[in-house]
Amino acid sequence: MTNFSLAATRRWKLACRYGLASLLLVFFVFPIYWLFIISFKTPDEIFHFPPVWYPKSFQFANYAVLFKDGDAVSVLNSLILAGVSTVIAMIFGTMCAYSLVRFKTGGEDFAVWVISQRLMPPIAIIFPIFLLYVYLGWVDSYGGLIILYTAFNLPYVIWMMRGYIEDIPLELEESALVDGCSRWAVLWKVVFPMARTGLFATAVFTFVFAWNEFIFALVLTRTEVVTYTVQVTHYFGGQSNFWAKIAAMSALGTVPVFITVSLLQRFLVRGISMGAVKG
Amino acid sequence: MNLIKRLGLTAVGALIAATTVSAAWAESAADRAVKEAQKYKGQTITIVWEAGLQSLDPLNFSGPLWEKLTGMKVKVVEVQTAEMFTKIMQEYRAGTGAYDALNVMPSWMPDLANAGALEPLDAYVDKYGYKDEFQKIAPIYRDNWAKANGKIYGLPDDGDVFIMYFRKDIFEDPKIKDAFKAKTGHDLSVPKTWKEFGETGSALTEILKPQNVYGAAFFRQPPYTMFMFQERFRNEGGKFFDAETMKATINSDIGVKVLTDMRNENKFMPPGVEQWGFVENLAAFMAGQTAMTISWPPYGRWAAGYGTDDKALNWVPKSTVGGKVGYALPPGGHPELAAGFDLSIASTSKNKDAAYLFIQWLNSEDISLQRVKLPTTLRDPFRDSHYTDAGYLALWPDAKDYLKTLKDASLAGIFDLSVLQTDKYEEVLRQAIGKLWAGEDPKAILDAAAGEWDGITKKIGVDKQKAVYADWASKSGAYPK
Amino acid sequence: MTSASPFVRSVIARHPSGRMPDHNFRYWIIAPSVFLLLLIGLFPLIYSLVVSFQQITMTDYDTSFAGLTNYAQLFDDARLWQSIAHTLIITIIALPVELVFGLAMAHLFLERMPGRQIFISLIVLPTVISPVVAGATWRLLFDQRYGPINQVIGWFAGHEVVMLWNITPHLVYPAILICEIWQWTPFMFLILLAALSNVDKSLTEAAELDGAGFWRIFFKIVLPAIWPVMAIAILIRGVDLFRIFDVIWALTSGGPGTMTETISIYTYVQGFQQFESSYTAAIAFLIVGLMSVIVIWAIRRMGLAK
Repeated sequence: MTNFSLAATRRWKLACRYGLASLLLVFFVFPIYWLFIISFKTPDEIFHFPPVWYPKSFQFANYAVLFKDGDAVSVLNSLILAGVSTVIAMIFGTMCAYSLVRFKTGGEDFAVWVISQRLMPPIAIIFPIFLLYVYLGWVDSYGGLIILYTAFNLPYVIWMMRGYIEDIPLELEESALVDGCSRWAVLWKVVFPMARTGLFATAVFTFVFAWNEFIFALVLTRTEVVTYTVQVTHYFGGQSNFWAKIAAMSALGTVPVFITVSLLQRFLVRGISMGAVKG
Repeated sequence: MNLIKRLGLTAVGALIAATTVSAAWAESAADRAVKEAQKYKGQTITIVWEAGLQSLDPLNFSGPLWEKLTGMKVKVVEVQTAEMFTKIMQEYRAGTGAYDALNVMPSWMPDLANAGALEPLDAYVDKYGYKDEFQKIAPIYRDNWAKANGKIYGLPDDGDVFIMYFRKDIFEDPKIKDAFKAKTGHDLSVPKTWKEFGETGSALTEILKPQNVYGAAFFRQPPYTMFMFQERFRNEGGKFFDAETMKATINSDIGVKVLTDMRNENKFMPPGVEQWGFVENLAAFMAGQTAMTISWPPYGRWAAGYGTDDKALNWVPKSTVGGKVGYALPPGGHPELAAGFDLSIASTSKNKDAAYLFIQWLNSEDISLQRVKLPTTLRDPFRDSHYTDAGYLALWPDAKDYLKTLKDASLAGIFDLSVLQTDKYEEVLRQAIGKLWAGEDPKAILDAAAGEWDGITKKIGVDKQKAVYADWASKSGAYPK
Repeated sequence: MTSASPFVRSVIARHPSGRMPDHNFRYWIIAPSVFLLLLIGLFPLIYSLVVSFQQITMTDYDTSFAGLTNYAQLFDDARLWQSIAHTLIITIIALPVELVFGLAMAHLFLERMPGRQIFISLIVLPTVISPVVAGATWRLLFDQRYGPINQVIGWFAGHEVVMLWNITPHLVYPAILICEIWQWTPFMFLILLAALSNVDKSLTEAAELDGAGFWRIFFKIVLPAIWPVMAIAILIRGVDLFRIFDVIWALTSGGPGTMTETISIYTYVQGFQQFESSYTAAIAFLIVGLMSVIVIWAIRRMGLAK
């Protein structure tokens, strides 16, 4: 093959890839665009027939109302709950996963029990948990919900990290041990860094799950720790669907996660060159 | 001597009468509530309120005002409508006293009262002298919404009722009137029966086609249409149950007729009307695209442009039909007092007196009048004095017609079915509407629904439900007289 | 130590009796997780079990022992079994689609290309939105009057179309599936992308040089390599699909009638709207029982717990 046709083939392939990527982009992003754009429309534009694809002007009145009424605080609440519970879940969960992989602690039964925790439909246990929290005085408190979210995310973290830890060659840990590291040091100095990719991929989704959690927040919060998911449902009324507020609140609630994801996905995609070790 | 004595006694008597009267005048229920509430200064009471527009009232107006007058803080727990019943029951079962005062829909009353979740209010009404002002609530609400098992469990606080809104300009336009007469043979007028409605609506849709205007539209989503079904079914003479056997009779010919008529009407309504909720219907009417619609009182205020300048209402499409809207009773003449709210006290509250004083104050003549006039309110007039208030009448040019229609509606209205586990029966109806829009046969739908109703009644206990149903049916607003 | 055979090393790893401080290491590191899981997992389970043997309904706080009445009722409850069928339909269709779609997308973005980061960050957005909002957004998109989808279909068809996506029986499932797949394919995509990136390039390159075609390389080298992560993703996604609630609730509320009512929606209606606490507890146990059986079978079959 001449150089020319090779380059042309590659360019054609690239063009195809961009084409497909753009189609995908439209499919996945258009609905979000639609939602966001509602937050900038006037009510007449929102309820206009035929539908308005692009508002005449961008008005920020809907956002202003959210901040003025103090509703925007719910985004901060979500941030605290999701952020802290993710960090804790990642640490405890990865440790647990390591034990499962390297030591087969508890054997298959323990592993199965762990994942069974994630099976439980929240609806089935929400009422007993509500009563438990009432008894402990944890309703409508940050701590209570953080503990709950952490516990609910643990199974996911443990199972994902198992897969990623299995990919880490045993030799690396062995050499560290030989060098005199304690097992704790091996965990922190070798395992966590080597599992970075998987760590971030898992952390991103753990964060997202906690962020979008709805039913526990609905039942266990009243006024202090309202999360953005519950706040949004306040705008679905019997006599009034505040679409503008729904859209604006969703936009506010999406931006932090979007930032988190874009910051971390760089780590997601960069592969660890395992080849160097295995070779 | 006798004369002087008599004069003196008369004078003293008059003086006493005067002071008593002036004392009575001076001490309105609102004032009394404020006075008694002084001893609870610094306390906080929690009240459950419907989230969204409704709760702007306690958050921005009544809560802060109460705190200023009494030093009592008000914490508003906003709950989405669909969650309110659930949250109230949950709190009751948990028994922590987290909620003091509540907003309760009258149709939930039997369930909540029988479960013991609500505090009977008779003793408080007497203790704080509320009997007078309580009596002055419009009879339809006072007699139908406040009591269960003969005891007062809630203070009616929102005059919800279905009103027909129509475009005066269309109904009075000579060209349209001529075209209508030519098409149907009678004069164009606001329909008084559902048969007339079907005829008027379809004729208007044809005549107004070039302008892209439809004769009518409703919010046809199941939750709203469920109320409409309750209204039309009873207006046409239907009864929900056989009072003796408690067998469901919604699948009678009347029921089938109502469902069939509703489906046929959709044909002259905008396409997709089966998906319409409160706001879609409002938007279409406000944009001038429909000549008739039926909905709760807020439509009337917003169509006239009242309050829609307020930032909180900036989600309401701007009205293009201000000044062109007429008000009437829906066809059949007996509108549904759909949904509505009472103020109640949770039986597990630890601050019952304090909470009661707050709701008495809210519900009193003075304060309720101010509240129903708030631009952003969803609370509709519910006291006799509201219908004739000079301030209200001055809010927009047609306000007097509006208030008159509301008053007429209150005199002829019928209220929601409320028995044990009403929501289960309502859920069956909602699903029946869903099936109707999906294209199933009305008779089959209603036969299935009646069967489900019978199943529910059996599970609750026929005798138990019979007693509660009898209690409901005995009220003035149960069936049209 | 490094000169010892792998067998010896693994033995020492499993029984580090020669290193006392480390002996309990494996237990210390699972302790916090176990504690939390017990707190949230054990008590509610016991409570629910007890309640399911009682007779608590909305108005009757009857805590007397009722034996297996609630469980017997389960078998007569046609609506319950229908809801399970609905749930299965959704799971069986959505899961493979999300998997294949996600895998294809992961391949597309595997190699470097300028702007890849931006594409990925944006494509991941649907997963990031709250499911309640996602359902509501698609409800608006599908709206006959105010939504763009019917408008666009109308452009292609040449005339105005009337498609009531959330009401018409033959349209409700497509609507739900589209929304669900739209929201969660990026999740599969991201996980599979991370897994694919970890595949040893030297192996695939060597196979290419040997003349192996794309599919051969995929099935013989790539798939086995990403299987551990992929299997977990499938399991997790499958379980989540079984519990689907928010999206359907926002789009159709389980309607028309009970046509799109899934097991979670039915449980919610019974427990939170009708307050049939005891019966709901029985349903919950049925679900847990069913799912445990399926998942345990899946775990052992896929060799996940080894």
